[in-house]
Amino acid sequence: MKKLYFALGTLLIASMILTACGGGGGAFKVAQVTDLGGIDDKSFNATAYKGIERAVAELGVEGKYLESQQQSDYAKNIQQLLDEDTDLIVTVGFLLGVDTAITAKANPDQMFAIVDYAYPDCWPGAVEGKDCGSTTELPNVLGLTFATDQAGFLAGYAAAASTKTGKVATFGGIQLPTVTIFMKGFEAGVGYYNQNMGTNVEVLGWSTADDAGSFTGNFESLDDGRSFAEAFVQEGADIIMPVAGPVGLGSAAYCKETGSCMIVGVDTDWTVSAGEYSDVILTSVLKNMDVAVFDAIKAAKEGTFKGGIYVGTLANDGVGIASVKGASAELNATLEQLRNDIISGAIKVGG
Amino acid sequence: MTEKKKSKSKSSEGIGGGSLGEALRVPALAVLTGLIIGAIAIVASGSNVFEAYSALFIGAFGDPVRFFSGFQQLFTTGETAGLLRAIYPFTESLVTATPYIFAGLSVALGFRCGLFNIGAEGQFFIGALCSAFVGYSIVGLPAYIHLPLALLAGAAGGALWGIVPGYLKARFGAHEVVNTIMMNWIAFRLSDWLLNGPMKASGFRPVTPNIEHTAELPRFFPDPLRLNWGFILALIVAYVLYWFLFKTTLGFEIRSVGANPDAARYAGMNIIRNFVLVMALAGGLAGLAGASQVLGVDHWVGQGFSAGYGFDAIALALLGKSHPFGVVLAALLFGFLRSGATRMQSMAGVPIDIISIIQGLVIIFIAAPAIIRWLYRLKSVKVEETVLTRGWGK
Amino acid sequence: MTNVLELHGITKRFPGVLANDKIDIALREGKILALLGENGAGKSTLMNILYGLYKPDEGRIVVRGQEVDFRGPNDAIARGIGMVHQHFMLVPVMTVTENVMLGVEPTKNRFFLDKDKVAARIREISDQYGLEVDPDAYIKDLPVGIQQRVEIIKVLYRSADILILDEPTAVLTPQEVESLFKIIRSLIERGKSLIFITHKLKEVMKIADDITVLRLGRVVGSTTPQEASLDKLASMMVGREVNLVVTKKPANPQEVVMEVRNLYVRDERQNLTVKGVTFDVRKGEVLGIAGVQGNGQTELVYALTGLLPIDSGVIRLLGETIHRATPRNILERGVAHIPEDRQRHGLILSFPVHDNLVLCTYYQSPFAKGVSLQQNTIFGNAEALVKQFDIRTPSIFVNVGGLSGGNQQKVIVAREFSRPIQLLIASQPTRGLDVGSIEYIHNQIIKKRDEGTGILLVSSELDEILALSDRIAVMYKGGIMDILDAKKVDKEYLGLLMAGVHPSEPVKVDESAAPERVF
Repeated sequence: MKKLYFALGTLLIASMILTACGGGGGAFKVAQVTDLGGIDDKSFNATAYKGIERAVAELGVEGKYLESQQQSDYAKNIQQLLDEDTDLIVTVGFLLGVDTAITAKANPDQMFAIVDYAYPDCWPGAVEGKDCGSTTELPNVLGLTFATDQAGFLAGYAAAASTKTGKVATFGGIQLPTVTIFMKGFEAGVGYYNQNMGTNVEVLGWSTADDAGSFTGNFESLDDGRSFAEAFVQEGADIIMPVAGPVGLGSAAYCKETGSCMIVGVDTDWTVSAGEYSDVILTSVLKNMDVAVFDAIKAAKEGTFKGGIYVGTLANDGVGIASVKGASAELNATLEQLRNDIISGAIKVGG
Repeated sequence: MTEKKKSKSKSSEGIGGGSLGEALRVPALAVLTGLIIGAIAIVASGSNVFEAYSALFIGAFGDPVRFFSGFQQLFTTGETAGLLRAIYPFTESLVTATPYIFAGLSVALGFRCGLFNIGAEGQFFIGALCSAFVGYSIVGLPAYIHLPLALLAGAAGGALWGIVPGYLKARFGAHEVVNTIMMNWIAFRLSDWLLNGPMKASGFRPVTPNIEHTAELPRFFPDPLRLNWGFILALIVAYVLYWFLFKTTLGFEIRSVGANPDAARYAGMNIIRNFVLVMALAGGLAGLAGASQVLGVDHWVGQGFSAGYGFDAIALALLGKSHPFGVVLAALLFGFLRSGATRMQSMAGVPIDIISIIQGLVIIFIAAPAIIRWLYRLKSVKVEETVLTRGWGK
Repeated sequence: MTNVLELHGITKRFPGVLANDKIDIALREGKILALLGENGAGKSTLMNILYGLYKPDEGRIVVRGQEVDFRGPNDAIARGIGMVHQHFMLVPVMTVTENVMLGVEPTKNRFFLDKDKVAARIREISDQYGLEVDPDAYIKDLPVGIQQRVEIIKVLYRSADILILDEPTAVLTPQEVESLFKIIRSLIERGKSLIFITHKLKEVMKIADDITVLRLGRVVGSTTPQEASLDKLASMMVGREVNLVVTKKPANPQEVVMEVRNLYVRDERQNLTVKGVTFDVRKGEVLGIAGVQGNGQTELVYALTGLLPIDSGVIRLLGETIHRATPRNILERGVAHIPEDRQRHGLILSFPVHDNLVLCTYYQSPFAKGVSLQQNTIFGNAEALVKQFDIRTPSIFVNVGGLSGGNQQKVIVAREFSRPIQLLIASQPTRGLDVGSIEYIHNQIIKKRDEGTGILLVSSELDEILALSDRIAVMYKGGIMDILDAKKVDKEYLGLLMAGVHPSEPVKVDESAAPERVF
């Protein structure tokens, strides 16, 4: 019996002594702090980390991530990475905005990139560092944002061109700017189609004019995705764009089972990331966060990192759409033309 | 003689017979065994156990080398930065432990009265939202009024969330497990709505505004050290709860009702009143957990404010044998594990979920001490009958 | 004569307890061995070893000259050993036949249960031993005495020839005890051997051939009814001289302390279990309520102490009705209650002795000041009561669950007697206790009576009722059959009343309260 205690004790002490070892060489270190979705959220945490993985493979940097399980972990995780002399800290999501800004101000030599958030975004009357992150651009923080309305516009146009019932639909998870921007672009694209073709395709689930639409209230429930899709189909829609992370997989499953609708994927190409539903994926609105993160890492490593705001657009391939299923050559040509017009500014997407 | 009396009367408090060492032996061995089995999981996940556990240790308590150099710096240059950096991990552990203490006390108090409060999580949310509301909506109060008011609001909100299932049980015999779970869902959805609507800060983020500085629980050190008076408050509340349970007539009744409701009724105690009282107090404690987290650490409430403090609290109450001091020790343990896990995740690449596995194992071993006794060939002591909760009948 | 069963040096240790210490017993063929001992003497442990439920740490079991090693009850059954447990193992909603065949279901054509064969065998056994059991009756419809016979049939059906009866008379009326003894004798006549476990001395003297007395896990002696006397057996069992007769002065009844008129009470399942009960309890007298368990006594006591609401009728305590009074209210008016189930109602087993001694008074001065418990006063109170009531406990800080049954009961008695009381309601006050504790508690009750307290004694032990009561009410199916003067009562007649038979000519009707007839 005594022996067992002794052995266990030795084990424990040995582990303490071995502490001193370890620690890195001189490699460039990149790390990501996730928000509550965790690293395998099949959404922006995962996509952002793909950029880090690519940088590990192509640029030879050291990369890792820290998962946050609750609100108070954000500051703590950032602090942990600071403590390890990480060269570039990538934070994901607006919830980390305040903690990122506060830490960045206290550590002006530390490089940060934050996905889906931009400085400055303090509104009139807000107190800096309390209500919002920062009123001035932080020279050491790069905000990575995406003009997904541009890509959403193309998807809306394609949907309007593909619908057989004359009704298309969209819904969101929670009414956040990063969600509604997809829906706004989508609606605008449909409107543009109606205007040019003299049709009257209807958009269910979102109205930019009212700034209101359909939201599941969460980013988790596949059941919600199902029932939303079912409701829209009953109202006559045959193409649906769910902007709610994995919730949309529920909608895709419904479409596949009933054959009554098509889905417009978001963030990534769903024919790849949700291959089992590829029959019912019309197209996907691509938000290439991995590209943006990779570029930020590359710049940081090469010493050309600059704070401010990066906007992913059609022009810099930060956003885009996947190929449209069953599209005629004519439609593809029109989409290409629209893309060029948006890039050149001939068409204004924002509304 | 009095000394002897004191130490022996501990047995009535249900922390286990015999000496303190004996009482702590099974939990300590449970933790050790949890760590050993956790080590197997770490190896299976492809990481280095020594690296992982040393990171866990340093992440929880701090790096001894840094302590040393921190002191050196302090004495040679008068700079405190190094020392602050050295104590950061330890203070973070205490910060993490703070809501655990409050929430653990909440569930423990319920257990003492034979009630299973699964609603601590919902009470935690409501407490946080209430104290945040008082914290940001009232401007211009001096701190000595604003802070107590915000704390009180948190406790009151949680208490309200506890009273409802308590009353339903007392009045209609509805089982508190079902009703506290229901109240959790109401709290979650209500907070979704509040954060997207009435309590949303201007701007687009679904979070509350930051609280006023006058409502903040003061911190002991400069940023980024977040240790604040919430921790001290938690210790004080634990002591007050101990006094309440073991030194007052009300506590005597609560423990009697919990240990044997039939005998309590026979002795003329009002069981129903105790149920309502305990659920209200338990709700208040869980509400304080949320309040201390908002007022001391986060200063705002967003979605994902809690990572299941209220559910972990059930484990804490079990681990602490429903004794306030036991709960404090258990909460510190969880604080150290959770806090150390951040560094372990970072330095050794061990998924943070491993800590949940270790915590789960520890709880299993505490709940089934026979496993530990068998593993370590301990003499089985007489099983202490601490009734945790009643079945579904009655 | 040969021994069918011998135990040699059986030792069984449980953590911290030596339950059996080198026990030797021998059962002669065709004889009845009474195993006599108080609760906790090690009888049950020994029988569980014999039945294969426990493995002994040391010692040998020899059945018909052959050493055996039982791995479970099935091995014991295979060797012809059968056990009738104190608590019956019967399924109430099944028939006698179904219960008997449980576990040994014979089949027709491999799939169908052959009930008829079993029923025929049951009739055969029943006739052979004079058991009079109908194989097709449902258990729930049978009286306790017949249920016990079903247990015996179960054992005989499995061809046991060594029977172990564990406290078989605990739940029976005197008449049922008589018929059980008849059955036992007919079993012996047909060559069965029998171990009879009990703590009741008189039964041992009546039925046993050999007597082995256990105390604290050891055999303290073996004797026969011819050599032994009640007093001798009692002192062997307890380990000291005991006085079995309660000496008491004639009662001196004074004014009425509790009046009950036409009381109806429903139990927790809403069944009407007390039906029109009327009686008075006077200061300075003991009113005994006799009756077989389960005839409404429990609910009657609950209603009197506020634990159950009453359906209709009147209860007056010192002239005031207490229909809506809470248990605390009733306690505060001077009613003491020794509850029937002491571990469920009377004590909090996980609390120390000192807390249990203030379970009803913790909130009163001097034990509390405001909300603050006065620990030192509580400790002092406990030290004093432990001394006064001779509670055998290592200290007042020990949990009450760790005390023996007798000492647990003394804690209740000490608590209830140490506050000012007008009326004592004592329900089964000595159930399961050892002789020494019974003697003590009986004397305490009589002492309270002589101090002028009214006593309502509820007991299913007829001897206890007879020993203590000044008047005796017999309860049957929720009503009171009769109230008799204890001095003039005859045991035979009481037994008939307890079985619900009301002879046409009452021996003696009490004049203070009219007897209530329900049927």
